[in-house]
Amino acid sequence: MPVALDDPFLLTLAGGLFMAAGIAVVRHRWLSRGARGVGLLIAGWIIVLAAFAVLGAAWGAEMGTTYAVGLLSLVAYTLIVVTHERRTAKIRNARETAYDPAVRSTNWRRGIAKSLLAIVLAGVAAIGVGVALAVALPFPPQDRAVIGGLMVPILWGGGMAWTLSDPRLVRATLILLAISAAGYGIAFLPKVLT
Amino acid sequence: MQDAVRQKARKRPFLPPEFVRAMLAGHSALGIAFAALIYVVCISGTLAVFLHELYRWEQPDAPVVTQPLTPDAVAAAVSGAYEKALAAGAVHDIFVLGPNPVQKRVIVHFHDHESGVEGDWLADETGTLVAPSHTPWSEFVANLHMHLHLPRTWGLFLVGLTGVALLSSLISGLLSHPRLFKDAFALRRGGARRLEQADLHNRLGVWGLPFHVVVSTTGALLGLSTLVVGVLALAAYDGDSEKAFATILGPMASEDETAAPLPDVANMIRQVQARHPDAVFASVTIQHIAKAGQVVHVGMRTPGHLAMANTYYFDGTGRWLGDGGLETGSIGKQILGALQPLHFGWFGGFAVKIGYGLLGLAMTVVTATGITIWLARRRAAGRPAPRWENVWSGVMWGQPFAIAAVAVAVLLTDAASIAVSTYLVVTVVAIAGALALPDAFAAGRLLRAVSGVALLAMIGLHARAWGVQPADPVATAVNIAMGASAAMLIGSALVPWRRARMRVSANGL
Repeated sequence: MPVALDDPFLLTLAGGLFMAAGIAVVRHRWLSRGARGVGLLIAGWIIVLAAFAVLGAAWGAEMGTTYAVGLLSLVAYTLIVVTHERRTAKIRNARETAYDPAVRSTNWRRGIAKSLLAIVLAGVAAIGVGVALAVALPFPPQDRAVIGGLMVPILWGGGMAWTLSDPRLVRATLILLAISAAGYGIAFLPKVLT
Repeated sequence: MQDAVRQKARKRPFLPPEFVRAMLAGHSALGIAFAALIYVVCISGTLAVFLHELYRWEQPDAPVVTQPLTPDAVAAAVSGAYEKALAAGAVHDIFVLGPNPVQKRVIVHFHDHESGVEGDWLADETGTLVAPSHTPWSEFVANLHMHLHLPRTWGLFLVGLTGVALLSSLISGLLSHPRLFKDAFALRRGGARRLEQADLHNRLGVWGLPFHVVVSTTGALLGLSTLVVGVLALAAYDGDSEKAFATILGPMASEDETAAPLPDVANMIRQVQARHPDAVFASVTIQHIAKAGQVVHVGMRTPGHLAMANTYYFDGTGRWLGDGGLETGSIGKQILGALQPLHFGWFGGFAVKIGYGLLGLAMTVVTATGITIWLARRRAAGRPAPRWENVWSGVMWGQPFAIAAVAVAVLLTDAASIAVSTYLVVTVVAIAGALALPDAFAAGRLLRAVSGVALLAMIGLHARAWGVQPADPVATAVNIAMGASAAMLIGSALVPWRRARMRVSANGL
């Protein structure tokens, strides 16, 4: 009985094998730890891309790409767990000189100000920009609303990360206020003009 | 030699140390502030991936429907739901969900948002309503994940904000990881506790990044949608949120309350199938049923898409009003259709659920180890916080115990009303008990053991109610999974005491 090469099961199997092989090649290069082996690194990622293509052929671009992204994580997890290193206590090496967080003098007022910046003002600015995009992007209303809405958590998360790491509160406040003014200005301008 | 030294000095790190230290400070602050919330949302979300299986575990005698419903079966289900809604005095909106690749039941829901009366029934393959849905524990898990059992609007907002905090942690975590490539595959167990936990945290965080970003972004958007659409409505729709939502979700029912016949849903499904022969029924929502202003949204699924279905709009007379484009429309429409399936892993089938379960568990571990690393760092710097170590152990291992204890309480009493209070009491007792124990390791061991025992009690009580081999094989599979989890929890609590003590004294936690 002939085997159909476009059979989704066979293609999925092939995609999984490609993914495992690609990640294994990338890990092999990683083990060498030197400047050599860039070719291996590139080859490994090309094989991973081939896995995306094969899974795309099996399930269509939309589903296949999604499956491949999930599979990439799971294959890497599996490889990491299978190849984990067992150590005994008291072993130290160079990697253990990891960075520590910056130590900053702080107090309650500064803590509250930072929280307000990261949670409230960054949120206000992100919603302002998101709504501005939902109003002003040159797309149909539904697309504008979804893309603008999707940008809100991304911008808010980015703003939160930045304000919490930036020690200069005044600078962060001024920038977020400026972004908020621009966002809400663009969002409400058509309404004001009419 | 000097040249080599100079060359080494010129080599700049991937990220400047000061930048990394600043990012780490922000990452730590955010983690400390939101860790418990993120942890609860992650652990309940991991369970929520398997919500349909939990429904079947909780009510294993209800019909399982494997084939898509026929148009006539859908019409029968709508008619049955209308009669039940009439009897309950809740005739307003009706929703019927048919079987699909991720769930195999016919679920019928009616509610009247003015009176707050609602009802849930299960139907068979002919659309006949056969039993009220009774899944209080699964509903508890779903609502814990979606709004933490807070008033809905506030709870959704808080969970949305938690998603933003998680996304922010991913960004700052990535930017504070200068050894991203150097340690790409390193997982070293044993040795210093902090570095062991850091390896686990970083490997699971980095390689699962696409999943973590997708789940946190979609979760944040789902939670914050009311707030964002509210502001959008102020800017572009004269403050009318319903109008703004209608732009995104399709036409809404008008306020014309004149009596009208029930919509001919079977004919609507046939209309869609005439245009798309490969489309099968997924769901139907009827707003303001049996009123002149009623609107029908028919969900029909075609293969090869992330969206659960595309939505087709009709008025009460069966007139075609367009479709949502969720499967093949523009990019915004397709994103809208993919939001929920991508967030919960509800596409593709059970294999995807397993993958999502593992990745969700990884995200839960990343959250838990984040705080463990912070506490271990304090201990290593000579500033141990033993009480916080105990509290975090109480939060981490208290959650599986609390969620399992809710199931035990519900199985014992058959009362949904007891769920939230049981959860809160057990959560507080777990943290207080952890504080009373000598160290975090002992607290973790004890809570893992009682979580395992609670899971075994769940299985025992389920067997008492439904027998050792329930009618639905999925219920047996869930029992086996719970038994395996119980074995792992109890097994991990039985680590030889001497070895555990040695590790605590050497590394803390």
